[in-house]
Amino acid sequence: MARRDPLLPNAGIVARREYRDRTRSRMFVGSTVVLALLAMLVAIGPIAARYLDRQTVTRIAVVAADTELAKSAVSVADALLNVPPVGAAEGTWKKPYQVEVADDAAAAEARLARGGLGGIMVLQRLPDGQVDIALRTTEGPNSARSQILSVAAFGIGVLDWSARLPPDASREIFRPPAYRVESINTATDAGTPLDSRQAASRYLLGIVFVILLLISIVIYGMWVATGVAAEKSSRVMELMISAASPRQMLAGKVVGIGSAGLTQYLAIAIPALVLLGLQDRIATAVLGPDWIAGAPLGGLSPALLLGYGVFFLLGFTLFALIYAAMGSFVSRPDDLQTLSLPLSLVAMVGYLIAIVALGGGSGTLVRLASLVPPFSPFVMLARLMVSAVQPWEILLSVGLLVAAIAVVAVVATRMYAAGVLLYGQRPGLRAFVAAARRA
Amino acid sequence: MSLEIDHVTKRFGRTVALDRLAFEVGRGEVFGFLGANGAGKTTTMRICLGIIRADAGEVRWEGRSTADLPRRTWGYLPEERGLHPRMGVLDQLVYFGSLYGLPPDRARREAIAWLARFRIPDYADRRAEELSKGNQQKVQFIAAVLHDPEVLLMDEPFTGLDPLNLVLLREAFMELRDRGRTLIFSTHQMESAEALCESVAIVDHGRLVAGGRLRDLKRASGRRTLRLAFDGDPLPAWLAGLPGIEAVRGGAAGAELELLPTADPPAILAAILARGAQVTRFDLAEPSLEALFIEHVGRPSDDDPTLAPSLPVPSVSAGGIA
Repeated sequence: MARRDPLLPNAGIVARREYRDRTRSRMFVGSTVVLALLAMLVAIGPIAARYLDRQTVTRIAVVAADTELAKSAVSVADALLNVPPVGAAEGTWKKPYQVEVADDAAAAEARLARGGLGGIMVLQRLPDGQVDIALRTTEGPNSARSQILSVAAFGIGVLDWSARLPPDASREIFRPPAYRVESINTATDAGTPLDSRQAASRYLLGIVFVILLLISIVIYGMWVATGVAAEKSSRVMELMISAASPRQMLAGKVVGIGSAGLTQYLAIAIPALVLLGLQDRIATAVLGPDWIAGAPLGGLSPALLLGYGVFFLLGFTLFALIYAAMGSFVSRPDDLQTLSLPLSLVAMVGYLIAIVALGGGSGTLVRLASLVPPFSPFVMLARLMVSAVQPWEILLSVGLLVAAIAVVAVVATRMYAAGVLLYGQRPGLRAFVAAARRA
Repeated sequence: MSLEIDHVTKRFGRTVALDRLAFEVGRGEVFGFLGANGAGKTTTMRICLGIIRADAGEVRWEGRSTADLPRRTWGYLPEERGLHPRMGVLDQLVYFGSLYGLPPDRARREAIAWLARFRIPDYADRRAEELSKGNQQKVQFIAAVLHDPEVLLMDEPFTGLDPLNLVLLREAFMELRDRGRTLIFSTHQMESAEALCESVAIVDHGRLVAGGRLRDLKRASGRRTLRLAFDGDPLPAWLAGLPGIEAVRGGAAGAELELLPTADPPAILAAILARGAQVTRFDLAEPSLEALFIEHVGRPSDDDPTLAPSLPVPSVSAGGIA
């Protein structure tokens, strides 16, 4: 079109109206307050859980005909299950597990059935001298407790075996081996690999960040799509199209509604993050010094926050534009429900790959998805949190994302312009494509 | 110095919406753009605004193609009435003014003045959805003229207005014309068009069927209307048998006779007097715009809802009681 069509100031004027129209509604204020309160509840949830757990002691009963065997089983399980946290004061710390010898096997079974016991270890000595251990429990074989007790079973076996060896004065006393994990794919902070607590914090934060990105994209993207579709089918469009160009209107809508979504997002996320940051102090105040489980934000650094901000904004912009294009295509807002499903699924795929990446996955799929839009915002975010990423990978990922945004912006504008040109009609796909080409 | 619609053609799929439509509107004129629904009026306006593009032909304002003109050249009152429902009236007007490049404080001043003029100053802070349809329409009109456009395009500006608001709107039209603005509107209310327009264009199926100065059109048609009233029987049966009569209608005030171009009014009067009738009114008038419209577009069938009914119009008197 020969007519000059600068984005500003009209796109800015439209954006400001869209932003105000949304943020000033009572629904917006009300839902933001409710969601912020919920998020704060979630943030202090772990403290509440631990506060309740403080009273709870898990009891494990050991049943064995051989008294010596039963005693050694109790001492091994007790040592494995009750490791005091670093810095715990000896006087105040209480053991979370109570392991005891049960005299009456039938009574123990009855207690287990009632829920009074977390599990029963049944020990038998087989005729060939081997120890047979069965853990009777309501949990599955892969539960953390079942697995740590399988290690205990191994320990019991080793102790039993060494106790039955002929005495030998020259033999050194048993010392358990030192054990740690050294992963070559662990994220580093200023060159030094993260310690286990920081790594755990990063894993947790990674999940939170990726989920937040997914939710924001699906919810606020839908806001954008609905806003675009609603105005396109509303009668005010007639007044608008003579006042502003399709490009200005679309840009204004995406920026305005997107910012309203981000405002709500920040209003929800910031109080929750502050609470998370204070979680240790709150826990110390409420539960005493022994319950410190590591600062949840311990793994966070300014660089990581920046990375999160960049990938969040770029990812959000990309999806908001795709949603806007979708809103331009439909002729009635109802049709959006149908069209939004495939788009949500695309976002979901990104989310799932990101979860794999958070779990330590670093295969070809993860590396590729961390570079290619529209998955890269999710997956690169996850990789940044938990593993070592090369600088060129980050640059390539951002570059591809920006390029994708530019392409989608052009396509979305054309689709929107076509929707405007065909105002009042219900175009078929062919008419729509033809109009989009001309636009 | 005019708006030229230069042989504009527009197709939607297989439908030809505009077929080499051509006419001209002089600067500072009030121009009636008439035609049945679906005749192509809205399409023409959208092409003027550059919202849609013509397949062939061009629209020019003062010699410049509309594609080169800034948006603020135009004011547009669409037929579909719509405002942002949850937005306050004044905010809304400032918003539209800003989109056309008006500084917010000036837009606010102008909007307040217009609201006062249309006697709705108290509605400035109300949400648009709280206003009646007629008042929303006035707000829409203000949104279209706030930036003082050179050309004002209006699609059915009078529908839905009560008589008082109709007068207010007509007065606004006249004032804008006196300020040198060009006003083009479509309407089915022939009375309003007749009262306001110097020139008209009548379109049918995307083609111009009549256009030019209203006075010239009336003269060219050669048709005249004769209004008669009698003491006694208001509608004698013998009227239809008089020479040069095409049609006879009975009105509340008397009879209305459509004359053939060949009719001779003095001879008709003589024939009536020869019948011994007591004539209390003999009024020879140019044809009404409605009559012209029907002549060119055809009479709407009774079940056709697209044409709003309009009343017989007292028009410029070309004769008196003989």
